[in-house]
Amino acid sequence: MNHFTDEQFEDIMQGEDIDLTHLKQCQDCRNRLAEKRAIAARLRLAFSSTRAGTDLAKRIRSRLQTTAAPTVTVQPTQRTWLSRRSRQLWPALMAAAAILIVLVPLSLYFGAPPAARAAQAELVKIHEHNLSPDHEFYSEAEPGKLAEYFKSKLDFDLHLPEPGHGLALRGCCVRHFRGEVVGSYVVDTPEGVMSVVVVTDKPESLGIKGEFTKGQHTYWKSSFAKCDIVSVRIGDYSYCAVGEVSHEYLTELLSRLLQREQE
Amino acid sequence: MKDDTETFEEIALPYLNAVYRAAVALCGQRQEADDLVQDTFLKAFERFKLFQPGTNCKAWLLQILRNIRIDRLRRKKIAGEALPLEEEIIAERSHDNETIWSNAEDLIENFSDEQVVRALRELPEDQRLTLFLIDVEQLSQKEVAEITGVATGTVKSRTSRGRAVLKGKLTSYAKEMGLTGDKI
Repeated sequence: MNHFTDEQFEDIMQGEDIDLTHLKQCQDCRNRLAEKRAIAARLRLAFSSTRAGTDLAKRIRSRLQTTAAPTVTVQPTQRTWLSRRSRQLWPALMAAAAILIVLVPLSLYFGAPPAARAAQAELVKIHEHNLSPDHEFYSEAEPGKLAEYFKSKLDFDLHLPEPGHGLALRGCCVRHFRGEVVGSYVVDTPEGVMSVVVVTDKPESLGIKGEFTKGQHTYWKSSFAKCDIVSVRIGDYSYCAVGEVSHEYLTELLSRLLQREQE
Repeated sequence: MKDDTETFEEIALPYLNAVYRAAVALCGQRQEADDLVQDTFLKAFERFKLFQPGTNCKAWLLQILRNIRIDRLRRKKIAGEALPLEEEIIAERSHDNETIWSNAEDLIENFSDEQVVRALRELPEDQRLTLFLIDVEQLSQKEVAEITGVATGTVKSRTSRGRAVLKGKLTSYAKEMGLTGDKI
């Protein structure tokens, strides 16, 4: 029988229900498990006496007392279009192509139409990059400042949700999608973190084909890997909400964008 | 009737030490850790209406802490400051030892708490936080996946790699201290 894999060792450490027959017969695996447990125990011990100072607790309490109820500045929705100039600023096609080189085999693996799966994989990748410290991201909660960022980077203002009512903006960035420069922003919600990626492609061409209607509007939904995706057309753009958040909540967020569009 | 501040203090502040430990694991320096913890609780208070009673408050706080930490790292990156080494660079260096520690006593006797914490701090950011949450805070892989925004499979691989790199660091320390041989 093969030795346990690293993943199996982690499951054993977590107390998962694993067949341990091999462990009884294999001294090598027993040693490896004992070592992992020893390191974990040593780490716990190293932090066992680490405690916050009383002054820190006092300082936090004091700041909480003086912090007023959270206020949110609501900025009006702004809207412009991608300029021709910004469209010419796409020398990073090679970077996008590199992503596709990775994503196309991945989509083949999943057995769906490659182009559509690759597009959704790209959307999910953008969401993951938005949450990773290794990728450029403009951290800002003020919608006005986010709008300024998009304006400076893309000459493009896009619809942003009104903060409050359970929503908070985390920041935004410019990414590459299908060889084009697109805007994306991140929203904290009670259900989790989601990214909104604004693209020119129509949802169907992205393989987001689960069409449904809410209110007077048509939405499209799909799922890729661990993420749900919902898209809606606003003007000439598709707003794609992506995250480990239910379709219902993604739809709710997009419907708020549409409400602001009508205001 | 309790006001918002009292309710927040009652629900969130009991996790102060857990959040502080995580901050120390990430930052190392006490002053920086203090600032990170304070910002975490203030941000949590701002967003307290988003917190769903009955859910895991500790995990929620640790997620906020991680997000603030990421924002700070990004600012440092913009400011041109050095960032933690990439996972691959450190992982490569960890293959040069085959020492097996099957007895926690060996580790306890030969290394100080400061050395263990220092070794942990030399891990890449994501490996460090993941290993800390799994081994020290003893959270489940699912909880850590939610905090760090990755799949549980990634949590498993980061934990395993992190522990291997940590072992490599401790082995290096042992060699520096003149503790050589098959077993320490």
